[in-house]
Amino acid sequence: MHKNFGDVYAVQGVNFDVQAGEIFSLLGPNGAGKSTIISMLACLLEPTQGDALVMGHSILRDPMAVKAAIGVIPQDIALYEDLSARENLNFWGKMYGLRGAALRQRVDEVLGVIGLAERQKGRVGKFSGGMKRRLNVGIALLHKPHVIIMDEPTVGIDPQSRRNILDNVKELNQQGMTVLYTTHYMEEAQELSDNIAIMDQGKIIAHGTHDELVKIVGELDRIDLTINAEAGRVLERWQATEGVHQVSAENGQLTLLVDDSNVVLPRLFESASRGGVRITSVEIQEPNLEAVFLHLTGRALRD
Amino acid sequence: MRVIDLALKDLLQIVRDRRSAFFLGVMPILFTFFFGLVFGSSAEGDPRLPVGFVIHDESDALSASSQTLLEASDAIRPVLLEGNDADSAAESVRDGDLAGAVIVPVGFGEQALAGEKPRLTVIVDQNTPAGQTASSAVQAAMTRLLGAVETARLSAEAFEAREGFESEAARRAYLDEALALASEAWLQPPLTVAVEQSGAAAEEGEEISPNVYTQSSPGMIVQFVVFGLNTSAMVLVLERRSRTLQRLLTTPITRTQVIAGHVLAMFLVVFLQQALLVAFGQLAFGVDYMREPLAILLVMVTLALWVASLGLLIGAMSKSEDQVIMWALMAMFVFSALGGAWFPLDVTGKTFAAIGHLMPTAWAMDGFQNIVLRGLGLSSVLLPAGILLAYAVAFFALAVWRFKFE
Ligand SMILES: Nc1ncnc2c1ncn2[C@@H]1O[C@H](COP(=O)(O)OP(=O)(O)OP(=O)(O)O)[C@@H](O)[C@H]1O
Ligand SMILES: [Mg+2]
Repeated sequence: MHKNFGDVYAVQGVNFDVQAGEIFSLLGPNGAGKSTIISMLACLLEPTQGDALVMGHSILRDPMAVKAAIGVIPQDIALYEDLSARENLNFWGKMYGLRGAALRQRVDEVLGVIGLAERQKGRVGKFSGGMKRRLNVGIALLHKPHVIIMDEPTVGIDPQSRRNILDNVKELNQQGMTVLYTTHYMEEAQELSDNIAIMDQGKIIAHGTHDELVKIVGELDRIDLTINAEAGRVLERWQATEGVHQVSAENGQLTLLVDDSNVVLPRLFESASRGGVRITSVEIQEPNLEAVFLHLTGRALRD
Repeated sequence: MRVIDLALKDLLQIVRDRRSAFFLGVMPILFTFFFGLVFGSSAEGDPRLPVGFVIHDESDALSASSQTLLEASDAIRPVLLEGNDADSAAESVRDGDLAGAVIVPVGFGEQALAGEKPRLTVIVDQNTPAGQTASSAVQAAMTRLLGAVETARLSAEAFEAREGFESEAARRAYLDEALALASEAWLQPPLTVAVEQSGAAAEEGEEISPNVYTQSSPGMIVQFVVFGLNTSAMVLVLERRSRTLQRLLTTPITRTQVIAGHVLAMFLVVFLQQALLVAFGQLAFGVDYMREPLAILLVMVTLALWVASLGLLIGAMSKSEDQVIMWALMAMFVFSALGGAWFPLDVTGKTFAAIGHLMPTAWAMDGFQNIVLRGLGLSSVLLPAGILLAYAVAFFALAVWRFKFE
């Protein structure tokens, strides 16, 4: 699919498959185009070019069938704040076609799942951010959709609500729901996903299981350092150091990809002290998705 | 079904908002009452000053004649006081309940017919304009009365001189008849001003008993259904801002259904508001809407349709709650002032009335007032209702065209 907003090319020829029953993550920084893809799959936006099939239904030709098969959790919390949690669930349940006893039962179940049974009569406007997030998720589960599409459902919340949501995703997946998940948290993608597509600037730049993706950076170790001076004073020298593959500097932190940190680290200390620079902190990390992104784009995943 | 569920959700949100009751019910009722007081005079529709009347001798023919004469006055209205209590009459005058009081003493008629000068007691407060008016009106009436008595007496004397009465009873009967004729003659004013209504309605309406609320009750209904729709337009704007409107579109509902649901909610709010205000107008203000229930229903439905599409338009154009209030206020002022909700367009002259009838509200006023004021029938509201319907369609098309889902 392609999507342009005027001359902003938000999505540029993205193509991927999600298998039934898996958790598939779109991992990418701000502005990568994740939400734009979700909006097209939810039939809110028409692609400039291309099409997608959800459960075999085209988003262009049969949007109603697509909408009935999916539950969408929008990135921005979308709730009626002047209604209670239960009234919200009741209303959205009806929009998904539930009625009567079936509706009541599902509302009760979902309230339990998202841990809001005790606060069901409370006005949503008075809820904490985490409680709103959980309700935001709960709404999309009411009709037991085949596919759940979650757009950064854990942004800006407390660890407890975040845990509740991540556990729910895994639980729902075990019950057979297919999950399309977007995030810019590497840890979430790693913990949840069967398959991951890494996105940047409207394109998928890498695609596979976690282990497959990590192999892209090979057996390289990653070292995060801070120094007591401008990064520029060591940057060139370290790039030329034997065993160092890549150096990048961002926000006062230097990140290096190296062959074997045990061998390379002493060389870095030595070259720093020769230049009159002190290394003030060091952290060594095994290869991970963050490193993959850095390797592929030369930039850190997080801002 | 989703359309109805969406409308019910809107209604729930409107009911939740405490301001709704105020905008939809309390304010229009207060304003109806207030405008009624400002533009009406007294609740009975009789603008003449009340003057108390104490008759000590009820068998007296002259006392009755004096009352008849006062009854015909343009300035005062006699109120017959129970009992023969001059003191309590004086107290009512002091309190301002009466503009004045007239005490007719025992033997008033006998004295007058015998050619003596009888004494009437008139109680007024000469320091007030009402008191002065009452006093001179009573004086004028009494002068006429005594003039009539004198005429009758002279005529009786002349008759007696020529032919003589067979008995005292015959003399008395002649005198009474002469007096009645004389008073009758006095009742006919020497100068008559004929008042003719210009532009009389083609159709003759039923006589409607005068009621000051026949203007303010429909007027405030029209004004506050327009203002009251800020409650339902607000729901729509909040839905767009909270992005629930976008989220709705990820569920199996079409854009058309979303719009239909909101319009349905607005229609229901306006219709129920009108039903409340019409019922209140009928029961509390005595405006007779129910003399043509079907005609009133037709006006209510078409007015609600137009107002609902206006609400959708306001909801479509506004980005914030402030803008909703601003548009609703503006619509209220323009549509009610020009549409004749505040004062009847009949009194404003031809040009203004013509401009006013560019407003759908003027047609709504016509529809209501053809029934409650002009006493016309069902056929008289067909044109107003048709025009309201046309406006509803036009506003709806405009609203749908301007409608944004984000
Ligand atoms: N309606 C729109 N009009 C114009 N540009 C848009 C619109 N929506 C998105 N964009 C642009 O498209 C690009 C992709 O945006 P998108 O929201 O899909 O990114 P994202 O990956 O979801 O980012 P984030 O993590 O911040 O949510 C951005 O450059 C954004 O500014
Ligand atoms: Mg996004």
